[in-house]
Amino acid sequence: MVATTTRRAFLSYTALGALAVVTAGSLSGCGAQSTLKAGSVSNATLPNYTAVKGVTPDLAPTAQGVPPAFFNYPKNPYRSVKSPFMKGQTVTGITNIFGPPPTGRSSNPAWQEIEKRLGGTVDITAVSSGDFDTKLNTVVAGGNLPDLMLNDGAAIPDIIGFLESSCEDLTPYLAGDKVSAYPNLANIPQVFWKQTVQNGKLYGLPIPRSMTGGSGFINQTYFAKAGVSDTSTIKSSDDYLALAKQLSGANQWAFGSTNFGLPPFLHIFHVPYNWTEQNGKLVKDYETPQWLEAISFVQKMHAAGAVAPGSEGWTKQQMQDAFISGKVAQIYDGLPAYGKVGGYQQTLPAANPANKATPFLPFSAHGGKAMVWLDNVDFAWTMVKKGSPSHIKLVLQVANFLAAPFGSQEYLLMNYGVEGTDYTLDGKGNPTATARAALDTAVPWRYLAAGPNALYSPQFPDAIKVLHETYAKLIPLGVADPTQGLFSPTQAQKGLTLGQTMTDAVNNYVAGRSSLADLKNAIATWKSSGGDQIRSEYQKVLSKSKKKS
Amino acid sequence: MEKPSAVGRVGKVVAIVVIAVLTIYPFLTVISTSLSDSTDIANANGLVLFPLHPTLAAYQTIFAGGVVTAALLRSIVITVVGTILSLAATVGMAYGLSRRDLVFGKFILLVALFTMLFSPGIIPSFLMVKQLGLLDSYASLILPVLISAFNLVVVRSFFMNLPQELFEAARIDGAGDFRILSTIVLPLSKGVLAVVGLFYAVAYWNAFFNAMLYLDSDKWPLAMILRQYVLLGSPLNTATAGEISAPSQAIQMAVVVISLVPILLVYPFLQKYFTKGVLTGAVKG
Repeated sequence: MVATTTRRAFLSYTALGALAVVTAGSLSGCGAQSTLKAGSVSNATLPNYTAVKGVTPDLAPTAQGVPPAFFNYPKNPYRSVKSPFMKGQTVTGITNIFGPPPTGRSSNPAWQEIEKRLGGTVDITAVSSGDFDTKLNTVVAGGNLPDLMLNDGAAIPDIIGFLESSCEDLTPYLAGDKVSAYPNLANIPQVFWKQTVQNGKLYGLPIPRSMTGGSGFINQTYFAKAGVSDTSTIKSSDDYLALAKQLSGANQWAFGSTNFGLPPFLHIFHVPYNWTEQNGKLVKDYETPQWLEAISFVQKMHAAGAVAPGSEGWTKQQMQDAFISGKVAQIYDGLPAYGKVGGYQQTLPAANPANKATPFLPFSAHGGKAMVWLDNVDFAWTMVKKGSPSHIKLVLQVANFLAAPFGSQEYLLMNYGVEGTDYTLDGKGNPTATARAALDTAVPWRYLAAGPNALYSPQFPDAIKVLHETYAKLIPLGVADPTQGLFSPTQAQKGLTLGQTMTDAVNNYVAGRSSLADLKNAIATWKSSGGDQIRSEYQKVLSKSKKKS
Repeated sequence: MEKPSAVGRVGKVVAIVVIAVLTIYPFLTVISTSLSDSTDIANANGLVLFPLHPTLAAYQTIFAGGVVTAALLRSIVITVVGTILSLAATVGMAYGLSRRDLVFGKFILLVALFTMLFSPGIIPSFLMVKQLGLLDSYASLILPVLISAFNLVVVRSFFMNLPQELFEAARIDGAGDFRILSTIVLPLSKGVLAVVGLFYAVAYWNAFFNAMLYLDSDKWPLAMILRQYVLLGSPLNTATAGEISAPSQAIQMAVVVISLVPILLVYPFLQKYFTKGVLTGAVKG
């Protein structure tokens, strides 16, 4: 889908270009089935959720997935894993790293302390997300699979074949109440586990996020000056267009984002998230009248001079610069970019004290209830290499340690390091990082296994309140993708190419370089080039899973 | 020679100034942006010409913790050792292949040239490195790329164009191949060795892909570390509050400066050999 062709997906596509043929052979070589087949989500037993009773948040979580919020780190963090459980063994893993590599183990007190608490060694191969597909496929071809492997959704073409041939079915270890042997994993709500179910079996450990990425951000000051302080009260798309024109002027535009930042508009027009079911039949977002209406609306905005020209080609950095400097009043970026240090709530006022950023709360183009997508449920999930039951249990215990929740000693250790060396505690018990903390804590533990998200920022409690409130408003409006967790071989093989073609077609249409007829032709081409095949594959698995359930 | 007219001279000056500005502007913006804070960068649409609030914060961030410093040392060692080994292997092979009486010489040359057209691919290379037991060793950054076929051809062409009489005279005086190579060929080949050495050094300095494939992060060279700084950040929607923030443009530009400086320092000393050496290998032969 156009809006979800992310940087990761694009990089994966380019990185895989040279590897695709070789990789398929390599995976077959390690036992995967030569023909791709589909996977379903329904008939696995998910782990039962049992919340850890550790700390009391300042703002409570909800059953729908609104994360707990903390204005200060809980005093007297509790120990969630009582004693070292490894007996000198080594567990290996491969995962993403974002940023420079950590200080090496020998001079990294945080890494040493974590392994001391584990009682063994964790060797992590850390790879940037752009290189991950290449590296993982090479490691797979080399035959030395690590115990824990991040599945970012794009690296392995025949994921089902690979899971069945090389990865452990975790259902016997974690399904239902069996997960209680690993309390921190049991603390992850079931909604986050769903994506890890493939072909009816539990094949992984989720790395939870916050359910929805939201609908972008606005320069609240500009919107308020134009008479709108709460965007969710906008009555129609016509009103919004009038507002957008009002916000645009000399060297300033109402909207500007990479690839025209479509999701907010798709939300406004109630375009389904990727696929939707209509009368038992799957319909792709492109095929809905709402999608065409939303794209035509963006085109109308662009023609009216309310969208920054050339913004479809912006990098994320260019988009951020334009928003921070006040050149555009609204952008599309994920909610986590708001409250952190260096987030929009901080950078807009830093550039101009009069400006203030807030999340964009979508309205409905034709009145009624607004809508957003549940598009940030998991970051990814981690596969576990096949092994003896005792080794699998050991690996799961390590994962249980890594999934220690916010408020625990282990979370503090993994994210902030060792007290005195990597951080000091302020009067309220909040860790303040030392100069060396950034690299000591750069070990990508959190991309192997993680507990549920928590909102926390002692510096910006107001931002945390805004975020919590936003999640509380948006998550109930969330629409899920019915194909989430399903596997389509054609999607795996051609999805990125087909999606990029549609992105190009949309960009050309919105920028006025092609006609509506060209856009409709692109949709027809998408269908004939693989879209219909993807639909029938998803449809088959969906029907099968419904029968089973 | 006719003296150029005033208009001609003005035209030349203007052309040179324009070319100079076009050349200097990108460097200036890179350096200025690396010395700016995020607000100045945002206000200048990402590329600063003159830093209004100069700061070394980006460089401090990059050099904090010693990871970059250690990687810098590793890169220097890899570059120096790799360049010496590559030069030695290339010179040895080129000398052998430049001798017309070498048995199977043409076949060996064709095998070497074959690698210019067809590379082994990522996974076969990985399997080879693994089977040789070189995974997670610095040798994996040097041995698989020890000889570049292009450089081999350049050096061989140069050797072939040295006067044959010198070789014959040396042989009459009783010199063997090693003596001919060390006392006659190499002293006459400083230019081409400087150029090929520079090619190898730049390649070793900039190489990151093999490091990503074969090494764990605690052994990464500078190019790989700096690349991480450039790629730093998370895709849309997936970052969470505790995660490292996206890169400031200042850090990215500081990375460009850091990666350029060593080569810029070496280049002027080798420049005089550069054109001569490449042309020698390219047009004669």
